Amino acid sequence: MKIQTLLLLVGLLLPQLALADGPPEQKNFPQGVSTERLGDELWREVRQRDMQSSGISQVKGVDSGILINARGDQWARFRMDQLSTFGGIGIAAIFAIIVLFYVVRGRVPIEGGLSGNMVHRFTDYERVVHWTLAIVFLFLAITGLILLLGRPLLLPLFGKEVFSILASASKEGHNLFGPLFLVSLIMMLISFARRNLYERGDMTWLLKGGGLIGDGHASGGFFNMGEKTWYWMVILIGLVIAISGLILVSPNFGQGRLIMGLSHVVHTIGAIILIAVSIGHMYLGSIGSEGALEGMKTGYVDINWADAHHDRWGKVCHEENLIIPAEEYARLQGQKPGSTDEMATAEQGK
Amino acid sequence: MARMKFYCDAERCIECNACVTACKNEHEIPWGVNRRRVVTIKDGEQGERSLSVACMHCSDAPCATVCPVDCFYTTGDGIVLHDKDICIGCGYCFYACPFGAPQFPEEAAFASRGKMDKCTFCAGGPEEDHSSDEYKKYGRNRLSEGKLPLCAEMCSTKALLSGDADVISDIYRKRVINRGSSAFNWGGNAKITG
Repeated sequence: MKIQTLLLLVGLLLPQLALADGPPEQKNFPQGVSTERLGDELWREVRQRDMQSSGISQVKGVDSGILINARGDQWARFRMDQLSTFGGIGIAAIFAIIVLFYVVRGRVPIEGGLSGNMVHRFTDYERVVHWTLAIVFLFLAITGLILLLGRPLLLPLFGKEVFSILASASKEGHNLFGPLFLVSLIMMLISFARRNLYERGDMTWLLKGGGLIGDGHASGGFFNMGEKTWYWMVILIGLVIAISGLILVSPNFGQGRLIMGLSHVVHTIGAIILIAVSIGHMYLGSIGSEGALEGMKTGYVDINWADAHHDRWGKVCHEENLIIPAEEYARLQGQKPGSTDEMATAEQGK
Repeated sequence: MARMKFYCDAERCIECNACVTACKNEHEIPWGVNRRRVVTIKDGEQGERSLSVACMHCSDAPCATVCPVDCFYTTGDGIVLHDKDICIGCGYCFYACPFGAPQFPEEAAFASRGKMDKCTFCAGGPEEDHSSDEYKKYGRNRLSEGKLPLCAEMCSTKALLSGDADVISDIYRKRVINRGSSAFNWGGNAKITG
């Protein structure tokens, strides 16, 4: 039985093997007729399989000569499957980690408490630059996240009509305030760059994990290494976001879909990174660390806070006698807000 | 239910652009917006072919997948339509569409995008059939009158076909078979692209 089936199989396979031997083309066709299929070539070109080729069209417009844009679907899939999914999960995860950290570790207190003796840290101009960038960033982050994650998260809650109004406002607001981000970013670059250059001693901060690993505070100058890294992240990634955003916002310079799709991906990845890290920055600058918000709120910080978090700068403050005693500081605060800076700079100049 | 499709026969299209003009006229489409266009490949060379292209009403439309406000919907006839009251003019459908079908009127400074406009298979939009709102936003609704899209209906060489997918593919299949046999009968170097 078995041998019979085997023979049958061989018998069935043999003719096919014979066919596979010789080239099958043009065997049964009359001589002189080319059976070369030009269609293969045409449709390969239309589908852009091997090359990015373009035809011509009487309809003038960006990419109007391209019949099929094969990259479009790739971009759409990447946006839906990777960008929005992992972006959303990533930001939510960072948020959860920080909440968990706060629950476990609580607020980092200043050793020895507040002294009441203050030291000047930021001028009014510097604080205006910081808060302008912060507010513009937050606005762009929220409107951008509405456009990225709104369809899965908000649309089912509000319904299409209401969400459309929200998304439309987000898009217009995002486009309008986007260029302001670049302006405030450049202001930030000019006023803070020098103090954010890396210097000796920054490595020890990194080795101690910014004070997270082991006991005691990690050493830091006017800005510690974490702040410096955050600053350069904001500047560099921010510039990438701003440039890719400008490519996206004005489609009248003839940039094609390929460039715009790519810009969108770069823009979104950069933004997700900055948003995720900014949650950490906001936490450490407010409820995470006692006395930290004072510097950006009033321009002055407690000397004990400076000694604890920025010991090298605190040392300079002690040596150069820049500390404003509590009574003096109270008197300064009583005066008009505008004059506090002049007093402080005069004092710094001593 | 029918499944509506366009098909353009590359062997027949003569790049007359009548479909483009008919579409613009029928729907009163503004300047700068073209729901349909004819693209010529290898213009002036051997193997030159033209194809008329518009929204192809995909079964699994990338525009609908990527739309952040979910403004697209597919009718019972398999036509992909969108709601201009929901559309926010972000341009994502234009990046995603393989055919470059979504069009955007330039609305304000820096060519900021208005609401998207595209081929409706002459089936109007979500508005009430034949209302002035529907005409203003989406153009004529010929399908509800029992007529097929004007571009295909008035194609002089019947290169552009529209209608139920089964009927269209039957017509095209017959064409291909006829061409195949005649090519051998000529005995020359006839090349077919079908």
